[in-house]
Amino acid sequence: MSNIAGKSYAMSVITPLPPNTAWMTRLLFWGVGHFFASKLKGLQTLSLIHYARWVVITPDQFPQLSPKQPKEDLRYSYMLFHSNFNGSWDQYVDSFSSSISVGLDTFWARSIKYPKSVPMLPFHRYITSNQIWNDHYYNAYPMAASNDIKSAKKVRDSLLEFTGAVAGVDAATFERKYNALLYNLQHDLSQMGPNPIVSLSAWAVEDRLNRERKTVELSHGAGG
Amino acid sequence: MPNQSNNAYALTTLCPILPGVPDDLPPEISHMNGQTHSACIRYLLQDVFRVSVNSPMAKVPNTYLSRFYILQDVPYQGHPAILEHLKSEYLVFSSNFHGDLEPYLEGMWANVKPEIQALLPHCWGSENVRDSASFIAYIRKCQIETTFFFVGSTDEPLDVQLKSLYLKQEFSKFVFENQGKSKEEIQRAFAEFERRTQPVNTDAPTWVAGAYSLDTVVKGAGE
Repeated sequence: MSNIAGKSYAMSVITPLPPNTAWMTRLLFWGVGHFFASKLKGLQTLSLIHYARWVVITPDQFPQLSPKQPKEDLRYSYMLFHSNFNGSWDQYVDSFSSSISVGLDTFWARSIKYPKSVPMLPFHRYITSNQIWNDHYYNAYPMAASNDIKSAKKVRDSLLEFTGAVAGVDAATFERKYNALLYNLQHDLSQMGPNPIVSLSAWAVEDRLNRERKTVELSHGAGG
Repeated sequence: MPNQSNNAYALTTLCPILPGVPDDLPPEISHMNGQTHSACIRYLLQDVFRVSVNSPMAKVPNTYLSRFYILQDVPYQGHPAILEHLKSEYLVFSSNFHGDLEPYLEGMWANVKPEIQALLPHCWGSENVRDSASFIAYIRKCQIETTFFFVGSTDEPLDVQLKSLYLKQEFSKFVFENQGKSKEEIQRAFAEFERRTQPVNTDAPTWVAGAYSLDTVVKGAGE
């Protein structure tokens, strides 16, 4: 099991859609993306998400790569949901349920036996029973939250502008521009570090990393 | 196109897994003899492929976050829903990355070919995967178009993201360390900071992709 990589959790959920309704779900997402982007404000406000996707798969889309491979014979279509977010499973699911319940209920409206996102307990059960555990999860920046990446972009952009603006200036001008820089970046400066162990699964990941470190040390020892 | 949101790409692939037991296995997983193709894939992903900075995906340029899992079957929702089953299991590979698909897959083949060649023999239709072009063709056959892609982070190249994280960390330290000093001292210290951190240079110094601790995250600091 590898749902955790540093500060990110990888949620993978698959839910069935009734026959002949996949096109409605696709149309809904297309409409949201093209005409109701403002409706995504709730998702953006939940700034703990790195990347998330919904993938509707109709029965004929399951890849058949050989004539010998049996063709799938399904009546339902299926919707995959993959999310990469910071924090624990409970924090994420509860945040979704509390903050964007209408959006969730819209996206999953056609999924069979979807209980709606409020109240929380049936929603928790629904996600749990349809969640798939990942076998390998990779995160390029385990010590950074999504907010860190967004603020880091602002820090670098501001620094690039600042270094150009203070080249060759006197100390008083430097101080004025430096203070303005700090004022502009006051929400974006903070130091990052490894995530604390917050769950048994996080502990399992840490345990695996420790074993890996020992393997590397042993191999270096053997080499030397 | 729903696979893309500006410069970020959401790749979703389902590679059908062969049924039954492999005839012979490479020496490194020979103790898996008698186990199914699916079990061999799971073993490779969970126990052979290392994690964090040593994950094979850390070598693939521009990978933000990626995951592998095995879709064994579709979930049953209880009466009166239909009980149905998949005829094949699927290796699901899902990646969030910067840029277009072909250069990304070329980078994957160039950097993690041994891992690809360890996994794919357990999947249907992979016997013709021999080079970058055939690997791209195979992945395209397995790709399912994303219906909706939400980017809550940024879509910059990974080296820019990592450099920015490095600068955020270093500049935060700089601000704390120089608080209360005179304008002349801060100006001198900033000149040294700029020389040391090289904000324009995304190659170095910067953060290492996949690094899990502060002891190992910086590369190219020089001194």
